[in-house]
Amino acid sequence: MGQLGKSHLVEAGIWSLIVAIFFGYTFEFNQPIEIYKFGATGWPRVIILLLLVVTLGNLYHHFKNGSAIQKGRVGIAETDEAPTDYSNPATLAKIMAILFTPFLFAWLLKPVGMYSGAPFFIAAVIWLFGERRWRWIVGITLLIYAILLGLFVVTLNAPLPQGNVSPFYDVSGFILKMNTQLQQLW
Amino acid sequence: MLENFLAGTGALFGDPFTIAIFVFGVVGGMLFGAIPGVSMLTLAAILLPFTADLEPAQGVMLFAVIYCTGTYGGAITAILFNIPGAPENAPTAFDGYPMTRKGQSGKAVGAAVLCSAIGGVASALVMMAATEPLATWAIRNIGPPEIFALVFFGLAVASSVGGRTIWKGWMSVLLGLLIATIGQDPVGGINRYNFGFTDLAAGIAFVPAILGFFAVSEIFVQAEKKATGQFDAPKVGMSFPTVIELWMHKFAVLRSILVGFFCGILPGIGATLAAFMGYGEAVRWSKNKEEFGKGKLEGVISSETANNAATGAAMIPLLALGLPGGALTAMMVAVFQMHDLEPGPLVFYNSPDLIWIVFAAMFYANLSILFIGLIETKTILYLLKIPFQFLAPLILLLATIGAYISRGLVLDVMVMFAAGILGFLLRRTGYSIPGIVLGLILGKIGEQNFAQGMQMVHYDLGTYFSRPICSILIVAGTLTLAAGLYRAFASSSNTA
Repeated sequence: MGQLGKSHLVEAGIWSLIVAIFFGYTFEFNQPIEIYKFGATGWPRVIILLLLVVTLGNLYHHFKNGSAIQKGRVGIAETDEAPTDYSNPATLAKIMAILFTPFLFAWLLKPVGMYSGAPFFIAAVIWLFGERRWRWIVGITLLIYAILLGLFVVTLNAPLPQGNVSPFYDVSGFILKMNTQLQQLW
Repeated sequence: MLENFLAGTGALFGDPFTIAIFVFGVVGGMLFGAIPGVSMLTLAAILLPFTADLEPAQGVMLFAVIYCTGTYGGAITAILFNIPGAPENAPTAFDGYPMTRKGQSGKAVGAAVLCSAIGGVASALVMMAATEPLATWAIRNIGPPEIFALVFFGLAVASSVGGRTIWKGWMSVLLGLLIATIGQDPVGGINRYNFGFTDLAAGIAFVPAILGFFAVSEIFVQAEKKATGQFDAPKVGMSFPTVIELWMHKFAVLRSILVGFFCGILPGIGATLAAFMGYGEAVRWSKNKEEFGKGKLEGVISSETANNAATGAAMIPLLALGLPGGALTAMMVAVFQMHDLEPGPLVFYNSPDLIWIVFAAMFYANLSILFIGLIETKTILYLLKIPFQFLAPLILLLATIGAYISRGLVLDVMVMFAAGILGFLLRRTGYSIPGIVLGLILGKIGEQNFAQGMQMVHYDLGTYFSRPICSILIVAGTLTLAAGLYRAFASSSNTA
């Protein structure tokens, strides 16, 4: 097995799965184009084939060298290379919470809207990043929210998601009404 | 030329409202470029409807100024936080961020300011002197086959930087190319890989993807460090690069101006490829290749000179041929169209005033980078003193707005966070995020030009390679790939 580890096999497996899924899907749009010999599938299939070849090359590198960095490579951020200890389940839970809280916020944008959801999201991220002084959490949340309203709503009139569920939609409506009145003062 | 330039300067600074728009563009471009999470494209997208109320020259000038200063502004976040404000600043982070970690942030930002200004001013001067002859040369010699060849060469160079191994560099670029195939195919308009989501028929918008891969993934990386107790706040360094240090890199500056200008002049290529190639060429010509990526000033200088040198050049195909070189220049076409104008050869004859106001504004905007940049640099460096737990939610929120605003789709916000998670995982395993993003940006351009090129040469490779620029670029790209492959196997045999 050379220097191949379990993680290398998993990595190769994931890439092979991507290759298989994307190749399989090409049959969904395998239609000829009258003016173009290679059709809609030509370009993606070449990319998929090349991806398969370099996946095998990557596996070969792992087989020979394990996870070692190839000599002479440039542009690799040091921060990406530091080993991380995930033996503590609490640490893993924290990372998962940080990774998925923004996703939850994005998922809730349609029903809740930016105006009602943003303060909770800001406070949650500050808390997840380790801040426990509640006065700081509230103060910074209000400051960032004020920047959001001042820059994007008052100054730039940017259209942000308003939500489609009461009472969130009403909150958005109230803020936008206040903004309209403020604009009329000028 | 001088007369026209002076007339343009007079028109620019003769009207207080035009001056106000110019100043707004300079400050707004720098600010939106420098605020992590949003970019000059966000500002441009927001401002686009308002330009209908401006004079045509004011509208186009505003976007041209934002393009110049925003390209520089994105370097600041790349250097300070490893979050490039735009894809063209990605190679700046390769060495800029390690310099910040070493307490040399002032030196890196100072070099970015100076080199952005030099690259931009040089490009503006060439643009003023030679837009028409260069456009004529480009229209005669550059077509889809050449553009595809340059995309191929650029991707070959990009895969050689970033990524723990050459294989991972290639896999990153290919992943970007694969993501770019999502949406309609550029020839027949056939839907590909929409996985049942109708919104995906329009493809993956690159603004949310870029924000996710760069800004959000960096937040996740720092969050991981916080959670595991490895977080080490970057050091603030106020020392600027000395004149001697900058003089020592004069050839790197000159080379990057040439690379940047050449990439910028080609329709659809723009500043991103210029920055990657500027950086790649700096590595290729350096005697100390191994120092790149660890905080080498030349890395910052090469990338920042090249991307700003591309800004002036990108105006040449836009103004002379009506072909936009990137997202922001595409928005400029919209500004023209709002005022019933079409950019192209006729604009030089029908609206010479507009052209020379834009040229003069770009020249002065690049000079402003130097003066305003040097003044604001010391203030901006204090951003590093803000505790990361307070900066992170601001960046995430701004990124959310930046992703949403471009198309008004919540799906884009989801795509951004998905790209953030993917970017986080890929960085942990040694893949190159800039490589993915470059593949994503150039994928559609490459495919479209390949298809058109093949149709032009009737699928005959002999005819294709009889075009000198094509054969040079394809051979250079192939040699770059072959050299990478050789190094990969040589490294394997050395270790084994």
